[in-house]
Amino acid sequence: MSVTAERSVQAVHVHPRARDYPGSFLDGVIPNESELTCGTRIEPGKSYGFFTDTTLCIGCKACEVACKEWNALPADSVGFTGMSYDNTGGLSANTWRHVAFIEKRGPTGTRQTDQDAFQSGWLMMSDVCKHCHNAPCLEACPTGALFRTEFDTVVVQQDICNGCGYCVPACPFGVVDLNPLDGKAHKCTLCYDRLKGGLEPACAKACPTDSIQFGEVPELQARAEQRVEQLQSLGVAGAHLYGAPGGEGATGGLGHLNAFFLLTERPETYGLPPAPTRPANRVAPGLLAGLATMAGLALGALALLGGGRR
Amino acid sequence: MRTLEGIVTVVQEGRFLLTTDDGSTHLLILSHAAAAEPHQLAALQRAQSRVRATCRPAPDLIGWVVRRLDVLEATA
Ligand code: SF4
Ligand code: SF4
Repeated sequence: MSVTAERSVQAVHVHPRARDYPGSFLDGVIPNESELTCGTRIEPGKSYGFFTDTTLCIGCKACEVACKEWNALPADSVGFTGMSYDNTGGLSANTWRHVAFIEKRGPTGTRQTDQDAFQSGWLMMSDVCKHCHNAPCLEACPTGALFRTEFDTVVVQQDICNGCGYCVPACPFGVVDLNPLDGKAHKCTLCYDRLKGGLEPACAKACPTDSIQFGEVPELQARAEQRVEQLQSLGVAGAHLYGAPGGEGATGGLGHLNAFFLLTERPETYGLPPAPTRPANRVAPGLLAGLATMAGLALGALALLGGGRR
Repeated sequence: MRTLEGIVTVVQEGRFLLTTDDGSTHLLILSHAAAAEPHQLAALQRAQSRVRATCRPAPDLIGWVVRRLDVLEATA
């Protein structure tokens, strides 16, 4: 065993059987490994995200497992949901990737027994935090625990989060969740620690069909437009983007979504809001309505009191 | 409540993996009631510290909630 391998063995408590293969121990991480795995060099100051092409998802849940494994997230909702092959249920404080299984129904509302080719009776989509351009969770956070990183992603700083939960209703996608055990908000970090080490996010790296593609957002958006054109030319008329600039999902002042999707059905079918909005848009109208109500009540009280004296 | 003794091998936010002497690894979550903060865990992992965690099973999760964490020795 080489000196380097010996040192690695001592440092990381590897399984004894793994010590039979010291050649597989590395001195450290491969510099800019993401260039090898997804052709993207990760550099601060650039905008990174995901293009999730739902037509390529086979529902294997490798992304869910990779996310749990890398982020040391516990298995949750231990039990049987009875919801198709989806035993995860949804995104939560302990589940940052969720593969939705949607079984399409026939015109009579029952499950079809005849299906076109290519699993067309199934829709599968790996859902995640959208890392919104104008992130409502970040805008709602009173402590600054939610912040925008140097990679244009949105992350909760655990040592600053006080568990107030303002971010939870602010997210139009129902992503952020409080964990009652540690009293803090949790969600996908877009693998902030991996990005800092030049590694592709765990879920995208694990995806065997490249349904989840990681890269620079402008590049992903261009690639997604081409894919929509390709699918439409092949007869998939419903293929469209959700979260691309100016399109569906990028509504209500959100700008665009750094994690965006290619869908073939209406967003509601996948459990996505058709027209998400920033709650901050409602601050001014809400304030004006409150002031108008106060003024109305004051005038009413004056009229009543004045009338009573006469 | 039970105690688990071992080495802190992986830390993510307030969660960490503890490898006990029999080689098994457990996932632990630092409770909001514990006298420790998530940012203190990283130093324990870097030092490959031996710790004793007083914990209870996490409801509906495969993991443990840590109420008390005692550092027994730092091995590096
Ligand atoms: S999807 Fe929700 S949690 Fe993610 S950045 Fe947008 S508002 Fe925040
Ligand atoms: S980017 Fe990382 S944290 Fe986010 S879903 Fe993927 S694996 Fe989980």
